[in-house]
Amino acid sequence: MANRPVHFIWLLDTSYSMLGEKIGQLNYAIREAIPEMQSVARDNPAAQLLLRTITFSTTARWHHKDPVEVDSFTWQDVAPDGTTNLGEALHLVAGELRTPPMPERALKPVIALVSDGAPTDDWRAGLRAIEATPWGRKAVRVAIAIGADADRGVLQEFLANPELRPLDANSPKQLAAAIRWASTAAVKAASQPVAGGHVGDGPTKPAAPYAPPVLADDDEDDVW
Amino acid sequence: MVIPLADWETLCASVQGFGKKRNQDWSVAEGTGSAADPLVLTVADGHGSPSYPRSDVGARFAADRFVVRGREFAACLGADRPGGRLRRLHDYARYELPERLVRDWQNEVWGHWRRQPGPEGADAPREDVLRLYGSTLVGAVLVPGLFVAWQLGDGELTVVDEDGRVRLPLAPERAELGDETASLCLPEAWRLVRVHWEPLPDPERGPRLLALSTDGLSKSFASDAGFTAFTEGLYERLAGRGLPGIAEDVPRWLAEASRHSGDDTTLALAHRAERGDGPGPAWASAPEAARPWGPEPEPEPEPGAESPAEPDGTTNDDEETERR
Repeated sequence: MANRPVHFIWLLDTSYSMLGEKIGQLNYAIREAIPEMQSVARDNPAAQLLLRTITFSTTARWHHKDPVEVDSFTWQDVAPDGTTNLGEALHLVAGELRTPPMPERALKPVIALVSDGAPTDDWRAGLRAIEATPWGRKAVRVAIAIGADADRGVLQEFLANPELRPLDANSPKQLAAAIRWASTAAVKAASQPVAGGHVGDGPTKPAAPYAPPVLADDDEDDVW
Repeated sequence: MVIPLADWETLCASVQGFGKKRNQDWSVAEGTGSAADPLVLTVADGHGSPSYPRSDVGARFAADRFVVRGREFAACLGADRPGGRLRRLHDYARYELPERLVRDWQNEVWGHWRRQPGPEGADAPREDVLRLYGSTLVGAVLVPGLFVAWQLGDGELTVVDEDGRVRLPLAPERAELGDETASLCLPEAWRLVRVHWEPLPDPERGPRLLALSTDGLSKSFASDAGFTAFTEGLYERLAGRGLPGIAEDVPRWLAEASRHSGDDTTLALAHRAERGDGPGPAWASAPEAARPWGPEPEPEPEPGAESPAEPDGTTNDDEETERR
């Protein structure tokens, strides 16, 4: 017997536009969210929460390649260095969502995309690669748009669900709240049963498994 | 020498998932498998998450309505079954009964909501109300000469034949990934019902064990092979100790499964022994194993094209999947 894994993959934009306060706040927000992820995991002992991170800039690379149990997960800061090759990062994710390496028996994986800009490569090809995998189609997806320059259309397409919206993070406080929400609500959504299925010619509309929070404008903080 | 078979014995057990406020499964197992007292088994699994706050009620309605329709179906069979009538019943089982079951459940749920409306009010959209009660359903009816089963959503119907072969006649060709499941709350849910029809022409042959379980059991195993090993172990213990001999152990086994799956875990089973089996010398000498499964076997490679011949007249609307 075994608990079923929830694979959680952070997909972080580390292009030059993140330089300065944005990358600092992103590192801070994820580090601060880890205890909350551990708490969610403790509340759901039947799920084994495993974390990984991919960063994308001029190239996409694994920041944490091997899945790490949340209780053992420590954050190493990421640093910005180039353009925004989201497509390459999505291809990396797609490779991990095939079976194998994904097991047949698992809870839905979570892909959390955080970006402040517009992709500079063929990101749609990467998205198609994810859609071509069974677990990629089932994955719980969350998207966080940092600042006004983030291409929300890209993030919306990544979500692949018209009922979901990218989460706006226009200030450090909003970013922290968004990361916290992505770290916890998405994990809960991945480990809860959902009525779905296909009747007749098309898919039935599943219940929205989770809804992003409303993040209030925050006048006290700087706005990106 | 052919040893005559005893009547079917039944057992239901269920454990609540860790951290859950209530058990959202429901089950019924009754009857001896005779024409006058058909064997009727069912398990229903309310979805349980906050989006389905009344799914415990939905699961109870599902199981109860199945028992009513299952008994009605068995009564239609009767002792005298001319071929033409049986063909008609086959169509009824395949097409009409699933729709009646779903409509029964939806009407029952709607009636419950109207009597005890939630904050959305008694006139909330029907589709939204049904979702609050979402549940799966697995059900089986066995009478002399025929075994029929239905399944909507996840869960397992596991059958062990007289030669010890374990099969899952209603397993989908490919299981749903993650925790997504078909449900009684979906529009036209009857179109998602899988049906197994199995004539039993020889009364001394055929299934010896029928086990209906909610997905909390199967999902506690790392592989399909582990679940099959559990069923094999269960059958061996039933053969050695009889159903009364394992009745107290079953909840403990389910609790261990639930600890891994985290889900409510329910088993409704029926066992048919050869006369003379059961709580006798074999039972007394059977080892007191802590649980019916050993180390989980390695998953086998993808099954090949070969498949054993099915009994005459056996039909599935889904390709039967063997797990052995």
